[in-house]
Amino acid sequence: MITDIFHILQDNWILLLIGQYPNGPLGGLAITLLLSVAGLALAFPVSILLALGRISPFAILRAPAAVVIYTVRGVPLVMFIFWVYFFIPLLIGTTISGFTTMLVTVVLYEAAYLAEVIRAGIEGIPHGQTEAARALGMGYGQTMFKIVLPQALYNMLPAMVSQFVSTIKETSLGYVISVNELTFAANQINSTLLTKPFPVFIMLALIYFALCSMLTQLARWLERRINQQRTGKRNITAVVANVAPTAA
Amino acid sequence: MTTHQIQANQHTQHMISFEQVNKWYGSYHALADVNANVAKGEVVVICGPSGSGKSTLIRTVNRLEQIQKGHIAFDGQDIYAPKLDLNHFRARVGFVFQSFNLFPHLSVLENIVIAPVNVRRSRRSDARIQALELLERVGLVAKADAYPGQLSGGQQQRVAIARALAMDPPAMLFDEPTSALDPEMVGEVLQVMKQLARDGMTMMCVTHEMGFAREVADHIWFMDQGRIVETGTPEDFFLNPQSERAKKFLSDLRSH
Repeated sequence: MITDIFHILQDNWILLLIGQYPNGPLGGLAITLLLSVAGLALAFPVSILLALGRISPFAILRAPAAVVIYTVRGVPLVMFIFWVYFFIPLLIGTTISGFTTMLVTVVLYEAAYLAEVIRAGIEGIPHGQTEAARALGMGYGQTMFKIVLPQALYNMLPAMVSQFVSTIKETSLGYVISVNELTFAANQINSTLLTKPFPVFIMLALIYFALCSMLTQLARWLERRINQQRTGKRNITAVVANVAPTAA
Repeated sequence: MTTHQIQANQHTQHMISFEQVNKWYGSYHALADVNANVAKGEVVVICGPSGSGKSTLIRTVNRLEQIQKGHIAFDGQDIYAPKLDLNHFRARVGFVFQSFNLFPHLSVLENIVIAPVNVRRSRRSDARIQALELLERVGLVAKADAYPGQLSGGQQQRVAIARALAMDPPAMLFDEPTSALDPEMVGEVLQVMKQLARDGMTMMCVTHEMGFAREVADHIWFMDQGRIVETGTPEDFFLNPQSERAKKFLSDLRSH
């Protein structure tokens, strides 16, 4: 079995890594990473805007944010992919690539979930923090971006990492609209080999696992570093608490 | 009295003045017909039983609480004037909270420079020099790079006072600044406040520290059920209270 995986990797590593590139479109792990990184980078600011909309004192901002969040969270991701896949071209009048479709989907889908995490984080910051900032003459924007959000995002880091990890895994659903990502590449290999589904998909699982745990480790390191800075020493309890696996 | 006359009065001596101030929470009458003035350089201590409206009153001065009726003027400025820039106005009122409310993600020095740099647009280097001078004043220069979580309650409150002073406010408001402190830390905070008073700062202070009131206050306002029931010098108030409510309050204090 292990030798099977090894042989499959040896024969197909280029396909898994970059797809048919440079003779065909870029694919495989490269596309999975590209989708994940671009997805996270875009979903993060969108989620902050959605969260701020959700807690806005103005109904004109609150209502659309709530509609987006509830709609997106109320449908399965696969269905949401089909929506974007079939409706966006109708809306804008031209076809869009599978990659773009998947990117738009991931950004909207993740932003909706992240927004609720961030909203909870903002609401968890004691009101005294806002009052102190306002009493010093800081406006809404300064109070939010310099006082409240930095604390809220730090507190919510574990939950946000869980969401980021799901994003990586969710890019695999690009398979259903033929995005040439990692799962698609693995499936191509499986179709060629025919008799080796088990090693192929174990290998696929291991690659996803490595990617996701790397992100989790990175987040733990970041958390420890911030915590050490704030307490001026290694905080033993926080380090111990971090050893317990976060739900991913 | 018209707004015009109020403003004319301010220019003479008042730093803070309350005119027929009323506030309701729903049907609860939190502040009732408050009329009082704080002169420039004066130290006023507000005392009274809990729920009497002391904190509410002090929080109306920088509009952390809105009032529904009446006028409040700060340094000659009607604080509900339509053209008032609220952030600019608040920056001129020093406010110290019971629970310190330091920003835990910023170092002590950053806590103090954040308002001068972001609100007053001071140069960061200037703000740092000023912050270090303020820390010197409250005896905490050595803690400039520490984080609030590493400080005791008394130290945190002294930093909070320095943070408020960084905006060079003409008046400072203290909302029960020592109530959240362990007894052995009360003294160090009161010491800083006494020094401020000696330096001529206009102060309004809600506190249960009657020793501080006796020593530092120019006037005591005694509040009950949203009203200022009695005002007087510390001597008058402690030795010769007029109202029944104040007499009871003082005898309850002494019985402890």
